[in-house]
Amino acid sequence: MKMKIPFVNLKTQYENLRKELTDSFEAVASSGMYILGNQLKKFENEISNLCETKYAVGVANGTDALFLSLKVLDVGENDEVITAPNSFIATAGAIIATGAKPVFADIREDFNISPESIEAKISSKTKAIIPVHFTGRPACMDEIREIADSKRLYIVEDAAQAIGAKYKSKPVGALGHLGCFSLHPLKNLHLYGDGGIITTNHKELYSRLCLLRNHGLINRDECATWGYNSRLDELQAAFGIKKIKYIKAWNQRYREIAQMYNKGLKDFVTCPADNSELECVFHNYMIIAEQRDKLIEFLTEKGIETKIHYPIPIHLQKVGLELGYKKGDFPVAEEICDKMVSLPIYPELTNDQIEFVVDGIKEFYQ
Amino acid sequence: MGNLKNYLPDQYDNTDLKEINHNYLIEQFSDYREIFGKIEQVVRKGDYTLGRAVDEFEKKFAEVTGAQFAIGVGSGTDALFLSLKALGIGKGDEVITTPYTFYATIGAIVTAGATPVFVDIGEDYNIDTKKIEAAIGPQTKAILPVHWSGKICEMPRIDELAKQHGLHVIGDACHAILAKYNNYYAGSLGTVACFSLHPLKNLNVWGDGGLVVTNNQEVANRLKLIRNHGLADRDTCREFAYNSRLDTIQAVVGMHILDNKLEYITEQRINNSLFLDEGLRGITQIRVPIREPNIKQVFHIYMILCEQRDKLLDYLQSNSIDAKVHYPVPMHLQPAANNLGYQKGDFPVAEKTAEMALSLPVHEHISKEDLSKMIDAIKGFYR
Repeated sequence: MKMKIPFVNLKTQYENLRKELTDSFEAVASSGMYILGNQLKKFENEISNLCETKYAVGVANGTDALFLSLKVLDVGENDEVITAPNSFIATAGAIIATGAKPVFADIREDFNISPESIEAKISSKTKAIIPVHFTGRPACMDEIREIADSKRLYIVEDAAQAIGAKYKSKPVGALGHLGCFSLHPLKNLHLYGDGGIITTNHKELYSRLCLLRNHGLINRDECATWGYNSRLDELQAAFGIKKIKYIKAWNQRYREIAQMYNKGLKDFVTCPADNSELECVFHNYMIIAEQRDKLIEFLTEKGIETKIHYPIPIHLQKVGLELGYKKGDFPVAEEICDKMVSLPIYPELTNDQIEFVVDGIKEFYQ
Repeated sequence: MGNLKNYLPDQYDNTDLKEINHNYLIEQFSDYREIFGKIEQVVRKGDYTLGRAVDEFEKKFAEVTGAQFAIGVGSGTDALFLSLKALGIGKGDEVITTPYTFYATIGAIVTAGATPVFVDIGEDYNIDTKKIEAAIGPQTKAILPVHWSGKICEMPRIDELAKQHGLHVIGDACHAILAKYNNYYAGSLGTVACFSLHPLKNLNVWGDGGLVVTNNQEVANRLKLIRNHGLADRDTCREFAYNSRLDTIQAVVGMHILDNKLEYITEQRINNSLFLDEGLRGITQIRVPIREPNIKQVFHIYMILCEQRDKLLDYLQSNSIDAKVHYPVPMHLQPAANNLGYQKGDFPVAEKTAEMALSLPVHEHISKEDLSKMIDAIKGFYR
């Protein structure tokens, strides 16, 4: 039996929300106000409410969110920033773009950066830690914060995949000095183009972010510092306002699907471990599977699309090797690369589809 | 960055509409439903990041700017920044440019790690080519002329200087879509040319957007790589880079304007400017823009020089005419330029221009009556 189950299905969400999104579109298109207007202001408020922070700053994309966060912390040349090697390339890219050096630390079995490994990597040049809440699962922030506090380091959360996730009842984005989110089309809360947002409780960092994203302009005629152009468009912010109302319900459905997968698959593959302190949002549902490549082939045959996030860790990419890393440096990150696979997960996925995926995997291993 | 502890920005625009406005976007996009239909097709395909609509728009954009390649990016600022990066310009390098420009020109140079070296402007508001050579030093890597207000700089001379000294030429053509020097469009001049699609540009979209155009295949390839994380494909990163992509839905808006309106927009701006020239020429306290027979100016900004500028500005504003100043303080005198070592008096023409410049709306929704009203108001002020 075959059933077409694509890895992403953005069209269904759009059709479900079409009326609301069309209204937003018309309101913005006919307003003549397309940049830094009231839609963005409102969306920023909604995000800071969700993340329980004082401020939120809309920027052009998630990469810029990380880059600008490091810039306002004055991270640059001769500085080191510790992060995980199993992230999307943009995490390290943003560090490099500031002139600083990314220093990787290995991960734990839960795919998130390991505090012990962070500690081993701290040097006199270390300025900040970027924990990545990979797949929408919060990193172990208490331990990370303890290290950061004792060594006086900044924490910039890479929460690109984790909007709405919670660590000990506290939302991500509020767990460090700055929280960085992506609103890219594939994210749980997504827009129709690139978009990003930064959360913070620090007024001074907020002010500086506002300056840096808009050419360093204090007003139309006065430039306090040479800056960038990195703004979240009004149109995208207006879509965001409509969508953020649903994010809690969507995330709940992500968790429900994850539970169904867990229940069906736990005897055949390694599923994401339960942890009562975490409220994960499963941007990706990643399993560790024996004979991974054969499994993928088998599922593809059945019409089930899967993906690997990501087949080559950053330190073993050409760009990582150029930084001096080599195979064997991060055994946990490297080991999972050959075994992990992400299954389709999105709120619109039906229970029948989920069952079909579960049955397919069972069939493969039986 | 100075003491910003108590500075809380309120940078969100709230436009007060006047009778004659600089902002004409509500009128211009009265056909937004038609554009929405086209955008919806893209959204339904799920094709929002560097999708087919971007490819098509880039191809068409290259055609109308006279270049072989066009690369869509996040903004005009990023077009400049990525061009510098693609050409390997950064720390320790100098880039020659004008102090009479929008902040982003200088922001792009500084954030790329290079140092801007200013050269004064001429009577036409553009970099004075006679003064460039004196500014070229061993660290100079590029000349970055700004085609201010939509008038192309004296590019043959700039190209010649660049060749002699082995420099790149990065054209800031953010104001200059469809502008021409002799028979050449802005996009065909220099190593690369950078365009903005900001809502207030002649060719505009509903948010930020920009393009770099070039005839150099290697530079084009590099730009395509570095605008998208340095990714050759989903799993292969060639170099650490940036995220700066023209949104697919914005490419749809841009294509709509390009196909249906750009020529008309440009013509109207030129006609309106000529009309203002005629009406204002007799006023001794006013100098209208310099024109040259071999240059097609597209008047993204219609900028005159006038005596008692600030008073005239207030007077026009109080008569419900949305005159503006682009811009009252040249770049070398901005607080951000403190550490570049310039002072007042370094660029007398730019400084004088900043004191006297005034822009009048000339967009396609300005009527002949509006133009006459502006002329009469200015005459009335000086009477």
